[in-house]
Amino acid sequence: MQPSAEAIETKRDASSTQTTARDIYLPPERKQVSGGGETHVSAKNFSIYYGDFEAVKKVNADILSKYVTAIIGPSGCGKSTFLRAINRMNDLIPNCHTTGALMFDGEDVYGRFTDEVLLRKKIGMVFQKPNPFPKSIFDNIAYGPRLHGIRDRKTLEGIVEKSLRKAALWDEVSDRLDKNALGLSGGQQQRLCVARTLAVEPEILLLDEPTSALDPKATAKIEDLIQELRGSYTIMIVTHNMQQASRVSDYTMFFYEGVLVEHAPTAQLFTKPKDQMTEDYITGRFS
Amino acid sequence: MNGEDSVATGRSSAFVVTAKKRKIQQITRKIGESALFLVAATVAIIVIFIFFFVARDAVPFFEIRGFREFFTSSDWYPADDPPRFGAWAIIYGSLMVTAGSALIAVPMGIAAAICLSDVIPFSVRQYVKPVIEMLAAIPSVAFGFFALVILAPLLQNYGGPILMWTWWIIASPFLLLAVIVLSELVSMSIQDDKHRKIAQRMYVSFFGLIALILLFFVGNNLQKIEIMTGTNALNVSIILSFMALPTIVSVSEDALQAVGRDLREGSYALGATRAETIIKIILPAASSGILAAVILGIMRSLGETMVVWMASGNASHIPDPWFNYLESVRTLTATIAGDMGEADQVTGSARFHVLFAMGLLLLVISFISNFISERIVVRQRKILSGQ
Amino acid sequence: MNLGTRKLLDQSFTALGIGSIVIMGMMLLVVLVPILTNGISANVFKGTIEHRRMQYNEFHRGDRDALQREISEAAATRKTAYDMMSTFEAELNQMDEVKQAEYRDKYNQVKDAVKSLLGPKPGDELPELTRFRYGQTRWEKAQERLREVLYEKKWDYSNPDIAAKEYLVSRAESFQGTSLVKLFPYVETNIDRMLLPKWTIYWGFIFDSSIDSHIFGGIWPEIQGTMFLAIGAMLFAFPLGVIAAIYFTEYAREGFFNSLLRSANSTLAGVPSIVFGLFGLAFFINTLKVSESKSVIAGSLTLAIMILPTIIRSAEEAILAVPKTYREASLGLGSTKWNTIVTVILPAALPGILTGGVISLGRAAGETAPIIFTAAVSVGSAIGLADVFNSPTPALSWNIYNLASEHEAASEIRHVQYGMVLALVTIVLLLNLTAIILRARISKKLKG
Ligand SMILES: Nc1ncnc2c1ncn2[C@@H]1O[C@H](COP(=O)(O)OP(=O)(O)OP(=O)(O)O)[C@@H](O)[C@H]1O
Ligand SMILES: [Mg+2]
Repeated sequence: MQPSAEAIETKRDASSTQTTARDIYLPPERKQVSGGGETHVSAKNFSIYYGDFEAVKKVNADILSKYVTAIIGPSGCGKSTFLRAINRMNDLIPNCHTTGALMFDGEDVYGRFTDEVLLRKKIGMVFQKPNPFPKSIFDNIAYGPRLHGIRDRKTLEGIVEKSLRKAALWDEVSDRLDKNALGLSGGQQQRLCVARTLAVEPEILLLDEPTSALDPKATAKIEDLIQELRGSYTIMIVTHNMQQASRVSDYTMFFYEGVLVEHAPTAQLFTKPKDQMTEDYITGRFS
Repeated sequence: MNGEDSVATGRSSAFVVTAKKRKIQQITRKIGESALFLVAATVAIIVIFIFFFVARDAVPFFEIRGFREFFTSSDWYPADDPPRFGAWAIIYGSLMVTAGSALIAVPMGIAAAICLSDVIPFSVRQYVKPVIEMLAAIPSVAFGFFALVILAPLLQNYGGPILMWTWWIIASPFLLLAVIVLSELVSMSIQDDKHRKIAQRMYVSFFGLIALILLFFVGNNLQKIEIMTGTNALNVSIILSFMALPTIVSVSEDALQAVGRDLREGSYALGATRAETIIKIILPAASSGILAAVILGIMRSLGETMVVWMASGNASHIPDPWFNYLESVRTLTATIAGDMGEADQVTGSARFHVLFAMGLLLLVISFISNFISERIVVRQRKILSGQ
Repeated sequence: MNLGTRKLLDQSFTALGIGSIVIMGMMLLVVLVPILTNGISANVFKGTIEHRRMQYNEFHRGDRDALQREISEAAATRKTAYDMMSTFEAELNQMDEVKQAEYRDKYNQVKDAVKSLLGPKPGDELPELTRFRYGQTRWEKAQERLREVLYEKKWDYSNPDIAAKEYLVSRAESFQGTSLVKLFPYVETNIDRMLLPKWTIYWGFIFDSSIDSHIFGGIWPEIQGTMFLAIGAMLFAFPLGVIAAIYFTEYAREGFFNSLLRSANSTLAGVPSIVFGLFGLAFFINTLKVSESKSVIAGSLTLAIMILPTIIRSAEEAILAVPKTYREASLGLGSTKWNTIVTVILPAALPGILTGGVISLGRAAGETAPIIFTAAVSVGSAIGLADVFNSPTPALSWNIYNLASEHEAASEIRHVQYGMVLALVTIVLLLNLTAIILRARISKKLKG
């Protein structure tokens, strides 16, 4: 289950043009990114427990840098749990613990000398529901940089503009940076949250169902944004929408009841799944 | 150590810090958390201290005088020689005004809470809540002043008519309702529609007559009552009930709100009226929370000082007959407040310590009722969350 | 039961609930309206020349020349009355023994009543107590006194079953045939000119200190004492309560110890207020000896532990109401826990925390029982900020009790008592209003 970067470049092959249930999932053509494709995060026999309950079971996987990896699977299968484990957000849950190893840049995320605060700075996260702070747009973006000691107004302004531009939000909000962020639309709020995360210059971006609370138009914007960011950041996105997974991702992981059933290039997983369970899931035979 | 230190190399592993730094981080965190814990623990320390220091000054009294006199005799002559410290009449006075206020506040409070949570539309509720909050906020000494300067003279001068009118206003709607329901119930067994209507009308006039006679008879007797002093148990009970009401209303309302929508909708869907839904479904489900509310409200009455001190008349005797609310009484709280000035603190006489004994009694009662009400609330929460 | 009756029952049930709420609202009005109307009369009333004279002498307020003119104007009218009295005194000395004994007593009553109405006769020696140096300063009180000049109060004990009834006997009749008869109609018709009543707004009631234990003057020492005590209590309880709430909500792990702490908090909330007073006396004064005897600091500490549970609870609620997502967002950006609390959670919870604080401040200001043994004295002047560590203070709540129940002239100074109650209720309700407004603004903010 070690997908290689080369497998990414796929074309629609002739055999799948016939009308089948999976037709709609056919991924668009994708370019290889430059300077990426190294193992960025790697899980080895990695399990996550809530108390005695093993929510994620012995996962082995390598996430490649600068590519987009989608995580799919039925509700309750452990997608969020796995994603939140990567930047140790699960530390907030009292009886949650892990076994096995999760490496980030070759270092153990759960090692004794890991500073989870520095870790989270490297691995940013955007949540299902947009969650801007009840502060101004500017203060929302500047929150992270300020935390890490940047006080100079000019520098902050530069960071805010850069982040908002990266998040494709600058044109919409540049004239009202001092307004309360809660006044933005849902889609704008979510892009603001992406911008806020980008402002601390992470290497990895974790997105947990970032569009499930948004309408189709806002969803399209976020998807475009992910395309923009692909190649600059390693992105992991949990989604229930398989079209979305096929549209935005290069690799897809399919979880079922805590087990990583299949991890393959998106095109391959959606067209020629190796596992019967994956096939059943993406053709909608169960959910 | 050195080996571990060298772990932190390279750009990418910037999130791994040296062992030393990690240790310092952990220690600061521990220290910070312990400091917070210490602050939070002051609450527990204060409670322990309150028990300890009140008990410390209460114990000498029981050492000198024993328990029997305090709890059984009602001769309260602390200044006499030899002094007598029979507190039964005072304890009784406390119980009496507490019971009186509960009698008024509990039905009213529960009715108001039900009304707030199930009857009144949300827009109106927004205006009712501040009223309840204001009632809760008015200082007890202001209520005491009202009781002493306004209510007491009113009761003393117009006691009879006031009692009569209160009886009329409260009793007539209830009696009317009782007459209708009773005649309906009695005539229910008659099968024939026409006959039943006639029978029902007869029953209504029959019961109605009884009710009217009752109204007039009781009203007349009430009007004849002469209240000798306005500073009496009735006065205090009325005022205390209004001080306990906000607690009862807000805690019961919380309990009622905790009963979910679906339970209500289920009952309405079966064709029950609102009153039936509330009485048969919601009240039982919220009963323990309401009980907790009642306990808390009663505690408010029992622990209240200023109103009873100013308006109960402070006569240390058991009224005759024992339920005569028109006589003056004296309560534990008022005795503590009133007698401390005369008690000799320096030599620590029995007269000083007996007041702490009373304080300890109040403290123990409040602790027990608090404990019970907390258990009740926890249990209700467990039941409602389906555990 | 048929549907009609069920509906009726349903409606009466509703009526019962609405009735209870209406009664609560009415009770609020019944308590507040007399306090408001009578309380205002401490500030706004018809003041007599005696009031202006007292203000000039005791507080150096008013225009000397105008006052002088008024005084001589009143004195001219009064002189006729005094002359009538001297004439009668001469006549009294001429009477035979029996008659003299009969009239002497009655005349002394008249003389006292006139003295209390108009103040000491010019030329008499000034009495020791300030209250006897002036006549009636308030017009409505003057009219009560006038009735005492005109009528004698007697009690009817004829019916032993009911309380004795009071009835009035005209003094003019009892002095029939003497020269004093003329005095009564004269005083009755000329009372205006003797006292020169004028509508007065007396702001000094709030800002003056009291003279001769509240017979004259204002209530500033009480207001200041109340503020010192309440603010002092807040200084101790607010930081302590907020920090404890942070611990309970953010750090405490579920467990035996934590639930013990929570129980302790609700136990503390249930302790009767008078027991706090006992504890304050036994602990802060007799054991810790924070001060020799009663002091502001001892009272503040006692009040602080009384309001602590309320502050903790409301702060806890406010912190728990902050959406979990804020916490996640902040931590996800690489913020430490403490930083998240300080920069995100506390600012978001601040209005809620302040609401609880403001309500507690009101409670501390209004409570009496805890300060009886620890801080309050009945008479005294306003204390300086430096004295809070060693001297007790008058306070509104305590002095309302004291003036209404223990003052030797309690029924003479109802207006002062009402004024104090109004001041206290205003302080407390204003604080609560602030809290209500704060809360309304929070819910508006949360709605976006
Ligand atoms: N805090 C928790 N304590 C205990 N069990 C939990 C907790 N959070 C999640 N779980 C359990 O862990 C399993 C995985 O949950 P998770 O939230 O990761 O699922 P998911 O795949 O993200 O589902 P969804 O698609 O609905 O978001 C579920 O069975 C869930 O019940
Ligand atoms: Mg999830």
